[in-house]
Amino acid sequence: MTGAALLEATDLTKRYDGRAVVDALSFECRAGTVLGLLGPNGAGKTTTLRMLYGFVEPDAGRIVYGGRDFATERLAIKRELGVCTQDDSLDYDFSVEQNLRVYASYFRPRVDALDSRIAYLLDAFALRRYADASPRALSGGFIRRLLIARSIVHRPRMLYLDEPTTGLDPRARVDLWELIDQMRADGMAIVLTTHYMDEAEKLSDELLVLDEGRAVARGAPGALMGRLIGEHVLVVGRHEAARDAIGAWARQTQGVEPSVVLGELHVPVTAAQLAEVSARFPEARLTVRPPNLDDLFIRLSLRHRAP
Amino acid sequence: MTSARALLAVFDWRSVAVFRRNALVFLRNWRTGFIPPALEPVFYFLAFGLGLATYVGGIQYDGGSIRYVTYIAPGMIAYTAFITAFYEALYAAYVRMFYQNTWDGLLATQIELPHVVWGEVLWSACRGAVYAAIVGVVIAGFDIGGFVDLHLGWLPLIVALAFLSGLAFAAAGLIFTALVPAIDHMNYPVFLIGVPLSLASNTYFPVPERLSVVRWLMNVNPVYHLAETARAMLVLGRPGPHLGLLLCTGAVWLVLCSLIAIRLTRRRVLGT
Repeated sequence: MTGAALLEATDLTKRYDGRAVVDALSFECRAGTVLGLLGPNGAGKTTTLRMLYGFVEPDAGRIVYGGRDFATERLAIKRELGVCTQDDSLDYDFSVEQNLRVYASYFRPRVDALDSRIAYLLDAFALRRYADASPRALSGGFIRRLLIARSIVHRPRMLYLDEPTTGLDPRARVDLWELIDQMRADGMAIVLTTHYMDEAEKLSDELLVLDEGRAVARGAPGALMGRLIGEHVLVVGRHEAARDAIGAWARQTQGVEPSVVLGELHVPVTAAQLAEVSARFPEARLTVRPPNLDDLFIRLSLRHRAP
Repeated sequence: MTSARALLAVFDWRSVAVFRRNALVFLRNWRTGFIPPALEPVFYFLAFGLGLATYVGGIQYDGGSIRYVTYIAPGMIAYTAFITAFYEALYAAYVRMFYQNTWDGLLATQIELPHVVWGEVLWSACRGAVYAAIVGVVIAGFDIGGFVDLHLGWLPLIVALAFLSGLAFAAAGLIFTALVPAIDHMNYPVFLIGVPLSLASNTYFPVPERLSVVRWLMNVNPVYHLAETARAMLVLGRPGPHLGLLLCTGAVWLVLCSLIAIRLTRRRVLGT
Protein backbone atom coordinates (compact mmCIF):
# COMPACT_ATOMS: atom_id res chain seq x y z
CA MET A 1 0.00 0.00 0.00
CA THR A 2 1.20 3.49 -0.70
CA GLY A 3 0.40 6.71 1.14
CA ALA A 4 -2.72 7.82 2.97
CA ALA A 5 -6.20 6.81 1.89
CA LEU A 6 -7.49 8.88 -1.02
CA LEU A 7 -11.00 7.52 -0.62
CA GLU A 8 -12.63 6.72 2.69
CA ALA A 9 -16.18 5.41 2.69
CA THR A 10 -17.84 4.94 6.05
CA ASP A 11 -21.12 3.13 6.73
CA LEU A 12 -22.44 3.69 3.22
CA THR A 13 -26.07 2.69 2.99
CA LYS A 14 -28.58 2.80 0.17
CA ARG A 15 -32.14 1.51 0.30
CA TYR A 16 -34.64 0.99 -2.48
CA ASP A 17 -38.24 0.30 -1.55
CA GLY A 18 -37.19 -0.25 2.05
CA ARG A 19 -34.61 -2.91 1.13
CA ALA A 20 -30.94 -2.19 1.84
CA VAL A 21 -29.08 -2.62 -1.45
CA VAL A 22 -25.89 -1.40 0.23
CA ASP A 23 -25.76 -1.89 3.98
CA ALA A 24 -23.32 0.02 6.21
CA LEU A 25 -20.34 -0.55 3.93
CA SER A 26 -16.95 0.85 4.97
CA PHE A 27 -13.66 0.72 3.05
CA GLU A 28 -10.83 2.84 1.73
CA CYS A 29 -8.60 3.09 -1.32
CA ARG A 30 -5.07 4.53 -1.52
CA ALA A 31 -3.21 6.22 -4.33
CA GLY A 32 -1.41 3.75 -6.58
CA THR A 33 -3.60 0.81 -5.58
CA VAL A 34 -6.55 -1.08 -7.03
CA LEU A 35 -9.49 -2.00 -4.84
CA GLY A 36 -11.54 -4.80 -6.39
CA LEU A 37 -15.25 -5.00 -5.60
CA LEU A 38 -16.47 -8.53 -6.14
CA GLY A 39 -19.87 -10.03 -5.81
CA PRO A 40 -22.70 -11.78 -7.61
CA ASN A 41 -25.39 -9.90 -9.52
CA GLY A 42 -27.37 -7.74 -7.12
CA ALA A 43 -24.59 -7.69 -4.52
CA GLY A 44 -24.53 -3.88 -4.56
CA LYS A 45 -21.30 -3.28 -6.52
CA THR A 46 -22.69 -0.84 -9.08
CA THR A 47 -24.83 1.00 -6.52
CA THR A 48 -21.74 1.39 -4.31
CA LEU A 49 -19.78 2.79 -7.23
CA ARG A 50 -22.61 5.14 -8.17
CA MET A 51 -22.68 6.56 -4.66
CA LEU A 52 -18.92 7.06 -4.74
CA TYR A 53 -18.98 9.12 -7.91
CA GLY A 54 -22.14 11.00 -7.09
CA PHE A 55 -24.66 9.43 -9.43
CA VAL A 56 -26.75 8.24 -6.49
CA GLU A 57 -27.11 9.87 -3.07
CA PRO A 58 -26.43 7.57 -0.10
CA ASP A 59 -29.21 7.30 2.47
CA ALA A 60 -26.58 7.17 5.19
CA GLY A 61 -22.82 7.17 5.59
CA ARG A 62 -19.96 9.43 4.60
CA ILE A 63 -17.64 9.62 1.61
CA VAL A 64 -14.34 11.47 2.06
CA TYR A 65 -11.76 12.16 -0.64
CA GLY A 66 -8.33 13.25 0.59
CA GLY A 67 -9.87 14.55 3.82
CA ARG A 68 -12.64 16.48 2.03
CA ASP A 69 -16.28 15.54 2.48
CA PHE A 70 -17.95 14.63 -0.82
CA ALA A 71 -21.29 15.95 0.44
CA THR A 72 -19.97 19.49 0.89
CA GLU A 73 -17.18 19.76 -1.72
CA ARG A 74 -18.83 17.83 -4.48
CA LEU A 75 -17.93 20.01 -7.47
CA ALA A 76 -14.22 20.26 -6.64
CA ILE A 77 -13.98 16.57 -5.80
CA LYS A 78 -15.75 15.48 -9.00
CA ARG A 79 -13.01 17.26 -10.94
CA GLU A 80 -10.63 14.63 -9.55
CA LEU A 81 -12.78 11.59 -10.31
CA GLY A 82 -12.74 9.55 -13.49
CA VAL A 83 -15.68 7.28 -14.20
CA CYS A 84 -15.99 4.51 -16.76
CA THR A 85 -19.48 3.06 -16.56
CA GLN A 86 -20.61 -0.38 -17.70
CA ASP A 87 -22.70 0.99 -20.55
CA ASP A 88 -21.24 2.47 -23.69
CA SER A 89 -21.93 6.20 -23.43
CA LEU A 90 -19.65 7.31 -26.27
CA ASP A 91 -20.80 10.02 -28.64
CA TYR A 92 -21.12 8.27 -31.97
CA ASP A 93 -21.72 11.60 -33.70
CA PHE A 94 -18.11 12.53 -32.92
CA SER A 95 -14.81 11.03 -33.98
CA VAL A 96 -12.58 9.21 -31.50
CA GLU A 97 -10.45 12.32 -31.01
CA GLN A 98 -13.52 14.56 -30.64
CA ASN A 99 -14.93 12.22 -28.01
CA LEU A 100 -11.88 12.97 -25.89
CA ARG A 101 -11.96 16.70 -26.65
CA VAL A 102 -15.68 17.22 -25.98
CA TYR A 103 -15.55 15.15 -22.80
CA ALA A 104 -12.73 17.34 -21.52
CA SER A 105 -15.06 20.34 -21.87
CA TYR A 106 -17.24 18.93 -19.06
CA PHE A 107 -14.60 19.79 -16.46
CA ARG A 108 -13.45 22.99 -14.75
CA PRO A 109 -10.75 24.07 -14.21
CA ARG A 110 -10.11 23.29 -17.86
CA VAL A 111 -7.69 20.52 -18.76
CA ASP A 112 -4.15 21.89 -19.07
CA ALA A 113 -2.40 21.35 -22.42
CA LEU A 114 -5.41 19.48 -23.79
CA ASP A 115 -3.88 18.86 -27.21
CA SER A 116 -0.87 17.09 -25.77
CA ARG A 117 -3.05 15.21 -23.29
CA ILE A 118 -5.23 13.90 -26.13
CA ALA A 119 -2.14 13.00 -28.17
CA TYR A 120 -0.76 11.08 -25.18
CA LEU A 121 -4.01 9.16 -24.64
CA LEU A 122 -4.35 8.30 -28.34
CA ASP A 123 -0.87 6.79 -28.23
CA ALA A 124 -1.09 5.17 -24.80
CA PHE A 125 -4.38 3.46 -25.63
CA ALA A 126 -3.31 2.59 -29.21
CA LEU A 127 -6.13 4.69 -30.65
CA ARG A 128 -4.00 6.93 -32.86
CA ARG A 129 -4.92 5.27 -36.16
CA TYR A 130 -8.64 5.65 -35.35
CA ALA A 131 -8.37 9.27 -34.21
CA ASP A 132 -10.50 10.67 -37.05
CA ALA A 133 -12.80 7.67 -37.34
CA SER A 134 -16.20 7.23 -35.75
CA PRO A 135 -16.27 4.94 -32.71
CA ARG A 136 -18.45 2.72 -34.92
CA ALA A 137 -15.23 1.65 -36.62
CA LEU A 138 -13.86 0.25 -33.33
CA SER A 139 -14.02 -3.31 -32.04
CA GLY A 140 -15.41 -4.01 -28.58
CA GLY A 141 -11.95 -3.93 -27.04
CA PHE A 142 -11.08 -0.59 -28.59
CA ILE A 143 -14.44 0.91 -27.63
CA ARG A 144 -13.58 -0.02 -24.04
CA ARG A 145 -10.14 1.54 -24.47
CA LEU A 146 -11.74 4.75 -25.69
CA LEU A 147 -14.19 4.76 -22.79
CA ILE A 148 -11.36 4.42 -20.30
CA ALA A 149 -9.17 6.98 -22.10
CA ARG A 150 -12.10 9.40 -22.10
CA SER A 151 -12.67 8.87 -18.39
CA ILE A 152 -9.13 10.00 -17.57
CA VAL A 153 -8.78 12.82 -20.11
CA HIS A 154 -8.94 15.38 -17.27
CA ARG A 155 -6.15 13.67 -15.29
CA PRO A 156 -8.21 12.41 -12.33
CA ARG A 157 -6.57 11.09 -9.17
CA MET A 158 -9.23 8.46 -8.63
CA LEU A 159 -10.75 6.17 -11.26
CA TYR A 160 -13.88 4.05 -11.12
CA LEU A 161 -14.11 1.15 -13.53
CA ASP A 162 -17.43 -0.69 -13.60
CA GLU A 163 -16.88 -4.13 -15.14
CA PRO A 164 -14.35 -2.82 -17.64
CA THR A 165 -13.70 -6.08 -19.49
CA THR A 166 -17.17 -7.61 -19.66
CA GLY A 167 -17.82 -9.02 -23.10
CA LEU A 168 -14.23 -8.72 -24.33
CA ASP A 169 -12.17 -11.52 -25.83
CA PRO A 170 -9.18 -12.84 -23.80
CA ARG A 171 -6.59 -10.83 -25.76
CA ALA A 172 -8.51 -7.56 -25.33
CA ARG A 173 -8.94 -8.32 -21.62
CA VAL A 174 -5.23 -8.81 -21.10
CA ASP A 175 -4.48 -5.61 -23.05
CA LEU A 176 -6.82 -3.68 -20.78
CA TRP A 177 -5.25 -5.22 -17.70
CA GLU A 178 -1.92 -3.84 -18.86
CA LEU A 179 -3.42 -0.38 -19.20
CA ILE A 180 -5.05 -0.54 -15.78
CA ASP A 181 -1.79 -1.75 -14.26
CA GLN A 182 0.03 1.16 -15.87
CA MET A 183 -2.48 3.66 -14.46
CA ARG A 184 -1.93 2.17 -11.01
CA ALA A 185 1.82 2.47 -11.50
CA ASP A 186 1.27 6.13 -12.42
CA GLY A 187 -0.19 6.65 -8.93
CA MET A 188 -3.90 6.57 -9.67
CA ALA A 189 -6.28 5.10 -7.10
CA ILE A 190 -8.64 2.68 -8.85
CA VAL A 191 -11.84 1.04 -7.71
CA LEU A 192 -12.85 -1.81 -9.96
CA THR A 193 -15.93 -3.99 -10.09
CA THR A 194 -15.81 -7.30 -11.91
CA HIS A 195 -17.39 -10.71 -12.16
CA TYR A 196 -14.12 -12.23 -13.30
CA MET A 197 -12.20 -13.84 -10.46
CA ASP A 198 -8.94 -13.99 -12.38
CA GLU A 199 -9.23 -10.30 -13.20
CA ALA A 200 -9.87 -9.36 -9.58
CA GLU A 201 -7.03 -11.59 -8.42
CA LYS A 202 -4.48 -10.24 -10.90
CA LEU A 203 -5.36 -6.56 -10.72
CA SER A 204 -6.44 -5.92 -7.15
CA ASP A 205 -4.18 -4.97 -4.29
CA GLU A 206 -7.15 -5.44 -2.02
CA LEU A 207 -10.46 -7.20 -2.47
CA LEU A 208 -13.82 -6.39 -0.98
CA VAL A 209 -16.32 -9.19 -1.48
CA LEU A 210 -19.94 -8.08 -1.34
CA ASP A 211 -23.10 -10.06 -0.99
CA GLU A 212 -26.56 -8.59 -0.52
CA GLY A 213 -25.03 -5.19 0.07
CA ARG A 214 -22.71 -6.27 2.87
CA ALA A 215 -18.97 -6.87 2.97
CA VAL A 216 -18.50 -10.60 3.52
CA ALA A 217 -14.71 -10.64 3.15
CA ARG A 218 -11.83 -8.24 2.55
CA GLY A 219 -8.08 -8.29 2.23
CA ALA A 220 -5.26 -8.96 -0.23
CA PRO A 221 -6.24 -11.70 -2.71
CA GLY A 222 -3.60 -14.22 -1.59
CA ALA A 223 -4.20 -13.65 2.10
CA LEU A 224 -7.97 -13.89 1.64
CA MET A 225 -7.70 -17.23 -0.09
CA GLY A 226 -5.21 -18.61 2.37
CA ARG A 227 -7.34 -17.53 5.31
CA LEU A 228 -10.70 -18.58 3.96
CA ILE A 229 -9.95 -21.47 1.63
CA GLY A 230 -6.74 -23.17 2.70
CA GLU A 231 -3.55 -24.34 1.06
CA HIS A 232 -4.98 -26.69 -1.59
CA VAL A 233 -8.19 -27.68 -3.26
CA LEU A 234 -8.89 -31.35 -3.78
CA VAL A 235 -10.94 -32.15 -6.88
CA VAL A 236 -12.89 -35.42 -6.94
CA GLY A 237 -14.28 -36.42 -10.35
CA ARG A 238 -18.02 -36.98 -10.79
CA HIS A 239 -17.46 -40.67 -11.70
CA GLU A 240 -15.02 -41.42 -8.90
CA ALA A 241 -16.29 -44.34 -6.83
CA ALA A 242 -15.19 -42.79 -3.53
CA ARG A 243 -16.75 -39.41 -4.39
CA ASP A 244 -19.61 -39.57 -1.87
CA ALA A 245 -17.40 -41.10 0.82
CA ILE A 246 -14.85 -38.31 0.42
CA GLY A 247 -17.66 -35.76 0.58
CA ALA A 248 -18.95 -37.31 3.79
CA TRP A 249 -15.42 -37.37 5.22
CA ALA A 250 -14.98 -33.69 4.46
CA ARG A 251 -18.28 -32.78 6.13
CA GLN A 252 -18.14 -35.04 9.15
CA THR A 253 -14.53 -35.15 10.15
CA GLN A 254 -13.17 -31.91 8.70
CA GLY A 255 -16.24 -29.68 9.00
CA VAL A 256 -15.88 -28.53 5.40
CA GLU A 257 -18.78 -28.28 2.95
CA PRO A 258 -17.43 -29.24 -0.49
CA SER A 259 -18.60 -27.17 -3.44
CA VAL A 260 -20.04 -29.06 -6.40
CA VAL A 261 -19.20 -28.00 -9.96
CA LEU A 262 -20.74 -30.14 -12.73
CA GLY A 263 -20.76 -33.11 -10.40
CA GLU A 264 -17.14 -32.65 -9.29
CA LEU A 265 -16.44 -32.13 -5.61
CA HIS A 266 -14.05 -29.28 -4.76
CA VAL A 267 -12.76 -29.67 -1.19
CA PRO A 268 -10.41 -27.11 0.38
CA VAL A 269 -7.76 -28.93 2.40
CA THR A 270 -4.53 -28.36 4.31
CA ALA A 271 -1.41 -30.42 3.61
CA ALA A 272 -2.19 -32.65 6.61
CA GLN A 273 -5.75 -33.21 5.43
CA LEU A 274 -4.45 -34.05 1.97
CA ALA A 275 -2.18 -36.72 3.46
CA GLU A 276 -5.10 -38.09 5.44
CA VAL A 277 -7.46 -38.37 2.50
CA SER A 278 -4.75 -40.08 0.44
CA ALA A 279 -4.26 -42.64 3.20
CA ARG A 280 -8.01 -43.24 3.67
CA PHE A 281 -8.86 -43.52 0.00
CA PRO A 282 -5.74 -45.03 -1.62
CA GLU A 283 -7.63 -46.24 -4.70
CA ALA A 284 -9.23 -42.89 -5.49
CA ARG A 285 -7.97 -40.82 -8.45
CA LEU A 286 -7.70 -37.30 -7.06
CA THR A 287 -6.53 -34.00 -8.46
CA VAL A 288 -5.01 -31.22 -6.38
CA ARG A 289 -4.84 -27.60 -7.47
CA PRO A 290 -4.14 -24.25 -5.84
CA PRO A 291 -7.17 -22.32 -4.55
CA ASN A 292 -8.56 -19.44 -6.59
CA LEU A 293 -11.15 -16.73 -6.14
CA ASP A 294 -13.89 -18.92 -7.58
CA ASP A 295 -13.45 -21.18 -4.57
CA LEU A 296 -13.55 -18.22 -2.26
CA PHE A 297 -16.61 -16.82 -3.92
CA ILE A 298 -18.56 -20.07 -3.85
CA ARG A 299 -17.50 -20.72 -0.29
CA LEU A 300 -18.56 -17.30 0.89
CA SER A 301 -21.86 -17.55 -0.92
CA LEU A 302 -22.58 -20.94 0.64
CA ARG A 303 -21.65 -19.73 4.10
CA HIS A 304 -23.53 -16.48 3.82
CA ARG A 305 -26.71 -18.14 2.58
CA ALA A 306 -26.66 -21.01 5.01
CA PRO A 307 -29.82 -21.10 7.17
CA MET B 1 -31.45 20.87 -4.42
CA THR B 2 -33.86 23.74 -3.78
CA SER B 3 -36.18 25.05 -6.50
CA ALA B 4 -34.23 28.29 -6.70
CA ARG B 5 -30.93 26.47 -7.18
CA ALA B 6 -32.51 24.20 -9.77
CA LEU B 7 -33.73 27.25 -11.69
CA LEU B 8 -30.44 29.13 -11.40
CA ALA B 9 -28.60 26.12 -12.82
CA VAL B 10 -29.55 27.45 -16.26
CA PHE B 11 -26.79 30.05 -15.90
CA ASP B 12 -24.12 27.51 -14.85
CA TRP B 13 -21.25 26.68 -17.25
CA ARG B 14 -22.28 23.03 -17.04
CA SER B 15 -25.67 23.74 -18.66
CA VAL B 16 -23.83 25.60 -21.40
CA ALA B 17 -21.49 22.61 -21.83
CA VAL B 18 -24.47 20.32 -22.45
CA PHE B 19 -25.95 22.87 -24.86
CA ARG B 20 -22.60 23.12 -26.66
CA ARG B 21 -22.35 19.36 -27.05
CA ASN B 22 -25.77 19.17 -28.72
CA ALA B 23 -24.96 22.15 -30.92
CA LEU B 24 -21.71 20.52 -32.07
CA VAL B 25 -23.59 17.36 -33.06
CA PHE B 26 -26.13 19.47 -34.96
CA LEU B 27 -23.42 21.37 -36.82
CA ARG B 28 -21.76 18.12 -37.87
CA ASN B 29 -25.01 17.17 -39.58
CA TRP B 30 -25.98 20.68 -40.65
CA ARG B 31 -27.25 19.72 -44.10
CA THR B 32 -29.95 17.48 -42.73
CA GLY B 33 -30.48 20.09 -40.02
CA PHE B 34 -31.06 23.08 -42.25
CA ILE B 35 -32.75 21.76 -45.39
CA PRO B 36 -36.06 20.49 -43.88
CA PRO B 37 -36.96 23.75 -42.10
CA ALA B 38 -36.06 25.70 -45.23
CA LEU B 39 -38.20 23.55 -47.51
CA GLU B 40 -41.17 23.05 -45.20
CA PRO B 41 -42.40 26.68 -45.32
CA VAL B 42 -42.00 26.69 -49.08
CA PHE B 43 -44.32 23.72 -49.31
CA TYR B 44 -46.76 25.28 -46.84
CA PHE B 45 -46.72 28.54 -48.78
CA LEU B 46 -47.47 26.70 -51.98
CA ALA B 47 -50.16 24.53 -50.39
CA PHE B 48 -51.88 27.06 -48.11
CA GLY B 49 -50.81 30.41 -49.43
CA LEU B 50 -51.20 29.86 -53.11
CA GLY B 51 -53.52 26.83 -53.11
CA LEU B 52 -55.95 27.08 -50.19
CA ALA B 53 -55.84 30.89 -50.27
CA THR B 54 -57.74 30.96 -53.59
CA TYR B 55 -60.74 29.48 -51.73
CA VAL B 56 -60.33 31.34 -48.46
CA GLY B 57 -60.01 34.88 -49.74
CA GLY B 58 -59.33 37.60 -47.15
CA ILE B 59 -59.17 37.17 -43.36
CA GLN B 60 -60.42 39.74 -40.89
CA TYR B 61 -57.53 41.08 -38.80
CA ASP B 62 -57.24 44.23 -36.67
CA GLY B 63 -60.41 45.72 -38.10
CA GLY B 64 -59.44 45.10 -41.69
CA SER B 65 -58.99 42.32 -44.18
CA ILE B 66 -55.63 40.74 -45.06
CA ARG B 67 -54.73 38.04 -47.57
CA TYR B 68 -54.65 34.50 -46.15
CA VAL B 69 -51.01 34.07 -47.14
CA THR B 70 -50.14 37.20 -45.17
CA TYR B 71 -52.09 35.82 -42.19
CA ILE B 72 -50.29 32.47 -42.06
CA ALA B 73 -46.72 33.74 -42.61
CA PRO B 74 -46.22 34.89 -38.95
CA GLY B 75 -48.16 31.86 -37.71
CA MET B 76 -45.75 29.63 -39.57
CA ILE B 77 -42.83 31.12 -37.64
CA ALA B 78 -44.58 30.58 -34.29
CA TYR B 79 -45.64 27.06 -35.24
CA THR B 80 -42.09 26.18 -36.28
CA ALA B 81 -40.58 27.53 -33.06
CA PHE B 82 -43.07 25.54 -30.99
CA ILE B 83 -42.99 22.25 -32.86
CA THR B 84 -39.20 22.23 -33.25
CA ALA B 85 -38.44 22.95 -29.59
CA PHE B 86 -41.18 20.64 -28.28
CA TYR B 87 -40.22 17.71 -30.53
CA GLU B 88 -36.49 18.15 -29.94
CA ALA B 89 -37.09 17.93 -26.19
CA LEU B 90 -39.36 14.95 -26.70
CA TYR B 91 -37.72 12.72 -29.26
CA ALA B 92 -34.09 13.79 -29.54
CA ALA B 93 -33.61 14.19 -25.79
CA TYR B 94 -35.26 10.82 -25.20
CA VAL B 95 -32.86 9.18 -27.65
CA ARG B 96 -29.91 10.81 -25.90
CA MET B 97 -31.22 9.79 -22.50
CA PHE B 98 -32.42 6.25 -23.23
CA TYR B 99 -30.73 4.84 -26.32
CA GLN B 100 -27.39 6.64 -26.58
CA ASN B 101 -26.62 6.80 -22.82
CA THR B 102 -25.39 10.34 -23.47
CA TRP B 103 -26.84 11.56 -20.19
CA ASP B 104 -25.03 8.79 -18.29
CA GLY B 105 -21.76 9.96 -19.81
CA LEU B 106 -22.49 13.56 -18.84
CA LEU B 107 -23.48 12.65 -15.30
CA ALA B 108 -20.17 10.83 -14.82
CA THR B 109 -18.46 14.24 -14.96
CA GLN B 110 -18.93 17.44 -12.96
CA ILE B 111 -22.30 17.92 -14.68
CA GLU B 112 -25.40 17.28 -12.54
CA LEU B 113 -28.91 16.44 -13.60
CA PRO B 114 -30.37 20.00 -13.53
CA HIS B 115 -27.59 21.05 -15.91
CA VAL B 116 -28.47 18.22 -18.28
CA VAL B 117 -32.12 19.31 -18.23
CA TRP B 118 -31.24 22.97 -18.76
CA GLY B 119 -28.74 22.12 -21.47
CA GLU B 120 -31.46 20.20 -23.30
CA VAL B 121 -33.92 23.07 -22.79
CA LEU B 122 -31.45 25.66 -24.05
CA TRP B 123 -30.54 23.57 -27.06
CA SER B 124 -34.16 22.74 -27.97
CA ALA B 125 -35.12 26.41 -27.74
CA CYS B 126 -32.10 27.40 -29.80
CA ARG B 127 -32.95 24.87 -32.48
CA GLY B 128 -36.52 26.16 -32.51
CA ALA B 129 -35.24 29.73 -32.93
CA VAL B 130 -32.83 28.71 -35.70
CA TYR B 131 -35.61 26.97 -37.60
CA ALA B 132 -37.91 29.96 -37.01
CA ALA B 133 -35.16 32.19 -38.43
CA ILE B 134 -34.87 29.97 -41.51
CA VAL B 135 -38.63 30.18 -42.00
CA GLY B 136 -38.31 33.94 -41.58
CA VAL B 137 -35.69 34.09 -44.33
CA VAL B 138 -37.91 32.07 -46.66
CA ILE B 139 -40.85 34.35 -45.87
CA ALA B 140 -38.62 37.35 -46.58
CA GLY B 141 -37.98 35.81 -50.00
CA PHE B 142 -41.72 35.62 -50.61
CA ASP B 143 -42.03 39.22 -49.44
CA ILE B 144 -39.40 40.32 -51.95
CA GLY B 145 -41.26 38.29 -54.60
CA GLY B 146 -44.43 40.23 -53.83
CA PHE B 147 -46.45 37.32 -52.46
CA VAL B 148 -46.78 38.91 -49.02
CA ASP B 149 -46.40 42.39 -47.62
CA LEU B 150 -44.68 42.33 -44.23
CA HIS B 151 -42.58 44.55 -41.92
CA LEU B 152 -39.46 42.41 -42.09
CA GLY B 153 -37.45 44.64 -39.74
CA TRP B 154 -39.19 42.91 -36.83
CA LEU B 155 -37.90 39.48 -37.79
CA PRO B 156 -34.80 39.52 -35.49
CA LEU B 157 -36.95 40.38 -32.48
CA ILE B 158 -39.42 37.65 -33.42
CA VAL B 159 -36.58 35.12 -33.58
CA ALA B 160 -35.44 36.25 -30.12
CA LEU B 161 -38.98 35.79 -28.82
CA ALA B 162 -39.11 32.39 -30.50
CA PHE B 163 -36.04 31.42 -28.46
CA LEU B 164 -37.50 32.68 -25.19
CA SER B 165 -40.84 30.95 -25.71
CA GLY B 166 -38.98 27.90 -27.02
CA LEU B 167 -37.48 27.52 -23.53
CA ALA B 168 -40.99 27.01 -22.18
CA PHE B 169 -41.99 24.65 -25.01
CA ALA B 170 -38.86 22.56 -24.49
CA ALA B 171 -39.33 22.36 -20.71
CA ALA B 172 -42.87 21.10 -21.32
CA GLY B 173 -41.54 18.51 -23.75
CA LEU B 174 -38.99 17.25 -21.24
CA ILE B 175 -41.74 16.46 -18.74
CA PHE B 176 -43.01 13.82 -21.13
CA THR B 177 -39.52 12.67 -21.98
CA ALA B 178 -39.17 11.79 -18.32
CA LEU B 179 -42.59 10.17 -18.15
CA VAL B 180 -43.08 8.01 -21.23
CA PRO B 181 -42.02 4.40 -20.72
CA ALA B 182 -40.97 3.87 -24.37
CA ILE B 183 -40.51 6.02 -27.43
CA ASP B 184 -43.71 4.62 -29.01
CA HIS B 185 -45.65 6.32 -26.22
CA MET B 186 -44.51 9.72 -27.49
CA ASN B 187 -47.71 9.67 -29.55
CA TYR B 188 -49.60 10.66 -26.43
CA PRO B 189 -47.88 14.01 -25.78
CA VAL B 190 -47.72 14.69 -29.50
CA PHE B 191 -51.44 14.25 -30.09
CA LEU B 192 -52.76 15.24 -26.67
CA ILE B 193 -50.51 18.26 -26.11
CA GLY B 194 -48.60 19.22 -29.25
CA VAL B 195 -51.40 19.10 -31.80
CA PRO B 196 -54.07 20.85 -29.65
CA LEU B 197 -51.64 23.61 -28.64
CA SER B 198 -50.63 24.26 -32.24
CA LEU B 199 -54.21 24.17 -33.53
CA ALA B 200 -55.62 26.39 -30.77
CA SER B 201 -53.15 29.17 -31.46
CA ASN B 202 -54.29 31.19 -34.47
CA THR B 203 -51.26 30.01 -36.42
CA TYR B 204 -52.93 28.76 -39.60
CA PHE B 205 -56.50 29.93 -38.99
CA PRO B 206 -58.25 32.19 -36.49
CA VAL B 207 -60.14 30.19 -33.87
CA PRO B 208 -63.81 31.30 -34.04
CA GLU B 209 -65.12 33.54 -31.25
CA ARG B 210 -68.03 31.21 -30.58
CA LEU B 211 -65.65 28.51 -29.28
CA SER B 212 -65.49 30.37 -25.97
CA VAL B 213 -63.90 27.58 -23.92
CA VAL B 214 -61.16 27.12 -26.49
CA ARG B 215 -60.67 30.88 -26.71
CA TRP B 216 -60.31 31.06 -22.93
CA LEU B 217 -57.75 28.23 -22.89
CA MET B 218 -55.81 29.97 -25.62
CA ASN B 219 -55.00 32.75 -23.17
CA VAL B 220 -52.63 30.39 -21.33
CA ASN B 221 -51.11 29.04 -24.54
CA PRO B 222 -47.78 30.76 -25.35
CA VAL B 223 -47.95 29.47 -28.93
CA TYR B 224 -51.03 31.62 -29.46
CA HIS B 225 -49.39 34.70 -27.97
CA LEU B 226 -46.23 34.10 -30.00
CA ALA B 227 -48.26 33.79 -33.21
CA GLU B 228 -50.26 36.95 -32.46
CA THR B 229 -47.15 38.89 -31.43
CA ALA B 230 -45.33 37.87 -34.62
CA ARG B 231 -48.43 38.75 -36.65
CA ALA B 232 -48.76 42.17 -35.05
CA MET B 233 -45.08 42.90 -35.69
CA LEU B 234 -44.94 41.63 -39.25
CA VAL B 235 -48.38 42.72 -40.47
CA LEU B 236 -49.00 45.88 -38.46
CA GLY B 237 -45.41 46.87 -37.73
CA ARG B 238 -45.92 47.10 -33.93
CA PRO B 239 -45.65 44.66 -31.01
CA GLY B 240 -49.33 44.54 -30.07
CA PRO B 241 -50.92 43.56 -26.74
CA HIS B 242 -49.91 39.89 -26.90
CA LEU B 243 -46.23 40.59 -26.27
CA GLY B 244 -46.75 41.06 -22.53
CA LEU B 245 -49.02 38.03 -22.37
CA LEU B 246 -46.40 35.99 -24.24
CA LEU B 247 -43.71 36.95 -21.74
CA CYS B 248 -45.98 36.24 -18.75
CA THR B 249 -47.36 32.90 -19.91
CA GLY B 250 -43.95 31.86 -21.22
CA ALA B 251 -42.28 32.67 -17.88
CA VAL B 252 -44.92 30.77 -15.88
CA TRP B 253 -44.69 27.78 -18.22
CA LEU B 254 -40.90 27.83 -18.06
CA VAL B 255 -40.65 27.95 -14.27
CA LEU B 256 -43.33 25.32 -13.66
CA CYS B 257 -42.36 22.95 -16.46
CA SER B 258 -38.62 23.11 -15.83
CA LEU B 259 -39.04 22.37 -12.11
CA ILE B 260 -41.37 19.47 -12.89
CA ALA B 261 -39.03 18.22 -15.62
CA ILE B 262 -36.02 18.30 -13.28
CA ARG B 263 -37.94 16.44 -10.58
CA LEU B 264 -39.25 13.79 -12.98
CA THR B 265 -35.99 13.24 -14.81
CA ARG B 266 -34.21 12.93 -11.48
CA ARG B 267 -36.64 10.19 -10.53
CA ARG B 268 -36.28 8.44 -13.86
CA VAL B 269 -32.54 8.73 -14.37
CA LEU B 270 -31.20 8.67 -10.82
CA GLY B 271 -34.03 6.73 -9.19
CA THR B 272 -34.46 9.36 -6.47
